[in-house]
Amino acid sequence: MSYPLLALIGLLLAIAGFVALALVGFRRNRTMSRSRYFTAIAITAALLVALTAVFDNIMIAAELFHYAPERLLGISVGLAPIEDFSYPLAGALLLPALWIVLERGSAQRRKDFAQLILVSRPISWVNTAFPFGAAYLLTTREVDAVLVLGVLYFLIPYNLAMYGINDVFDYASDLANPRKGGIEGALLPPRLHRTTLRVAALTNIPFLLLLGGFGGPAVWTALAISAFAVVAYSAPGLRFKERPFLDSVTSSIHFLSPAVIGLLLAGAQIDGALLLLLTAFFLWGMAAHAFGAVQDIIPDRDAGIRSIATAIGARATVRVALVLWVTAGLLMLGTSWPGPLGALLALPYVLICAPFWSVTDENSATTNRAWRRFIALNYLSGFLVTLLLILEGSHT
Amino acid sequence: MGVLYLLLLIAGIGCMLLLDRRFRLFFWHDPAVASLVTAVGTGLFLVWDVVGIAAGVFLRGEGGAATGIVLAPELPLEEPVFLIFLVLCTMVIFTGTARILHHRRVNADWEEDRP
Repeated sequence: MSYPLLALIGLLLAIAGFVALALVGFRRNRTMSRSRYFTAIAITAALLVALTAVFDNIMIAAELFHYAPERLLGISVGLAPIEDFSYPLAGALLLPALWIVLERGSAQRRKDFAQLILVSRPISWVNTAFPFGAAYLLTTREVDAVLVLGVLYFLIPYNLAMYGINDVFDYASDLANPRKGGIEGALLPPRLHRTTLRVAALTNIPFLLLLGGFGGPAVWTALAISAFAVVAYSAPGLRFKERPFLDSVTSSIHFLSPAVIGLLLAGAQIDGALLLLLTAFFLWGMAAHAFGAVQDIIPDRDAGIRSIATAIGARATVRVALVLWVTAGLLMLGTSWPGPLGALLALPYVLICAPFWSVTDENSATTNRAWRRFIALNYLSGFLVTLLLILEGSHT
Repeated sequence: MGVLYLLLLIAGIGCMLLLDRRFRLFFWHDPAVASLVTAVGTGLFLVWDVVGIAAGVFLRGEGGAATGIVLAPELPLEEPVFLIFLVLCTMVIFTGTARILHHRRVNADWEEDRP
């Protein structure tokens, strides 16, 4: 295809979109001044064309990009081929039209948006994006489209789905829990429940399809398991979070699956040492979940919610978590250098958790103190893991 | 290999966001729809780019101002950042122009109403 044809198709599609959107927009909003919006679009287009004439020339002169000469029409403004102006023109037509149709700039909308961001737990975004990015980058050793897509996905949409679905279906029990509403949870007003689920679906599905497109059956399976774990954890009917032991396993899959997907997309050879590392990470995640459930034993029992901690009690759960952390540390000793250094990372978790060795169900809420330390500790561990990965990267 | 182009693009995005914030135009007016418009705009432009690259029209340059990192063959790391900038620039100009036109209209009405 030649550039003039490509530019023409792009521009025609933008015009079609513009007309369709403008018709809908004006039907919905009869008070809108048509002439003012058309004037604004015309001024925008004119300004963008002028800016393009200047900056496209600078960018081409800086040799940032060039064109296959035989595919061009041959008319240009300085160095900028005339076809390049289709980009700003298409943008100036389509994007403002989309904005006019959807925009409702009310204070309520801004508050709702902030609420949705809060629901996705920005403090935890990195916990899923990092495993993916580290696993992918360490295998491929280069930045590419899949890395950017995957990191973006596991940074925001994935967390919005995971915590959003959770908050929607936990609303009733969260109401009874004073710990929710801060960094550890957000109470989501029922008014926003539908919106949350919709936005979660709308932001997740395209990324899942795109990432799936870059891999084969192994990647599809991993993506399916990952998405299933996100939904099954709290969706009605499945509610894995209320099935003792399955709750900790599912929660750990939430953090392990981004790493596995990263490895598979990167085409990594999953050998024995890597399996040990993944298992250690999996046990670490289970321990974190199990220990986290202890602090909620009393409110959970009051609300009739089951978890690993309500099933076997505070003391047994703390001990299970400790054993899992110790095992994770020991497994790291079997990985290839510098992996064994990672065994040290288990120590602070064991040390913070150990004082609760004999905790009772009655004072289980005191484990929140340790839980809060873990949130900070996770960042330190993440930092140290990064250093280990850099060491690993320079080592091989 | 250089980061000049990338830094200039990020600075440009920063300036657009400052204007946006100061006059509550786009993200500071309706952040949900602004996110959607930015995602749709950047996505469509990227598809356009990819089609152009597949058709052999667009070729990456060897300019020293770019990092040289490519997301895919002939698709530099800077391209999606540039496209985000283009969308933001378009929308800040549009919403800003619509605002100015609105105020001129209101002021004109006010002038006419004066005795």
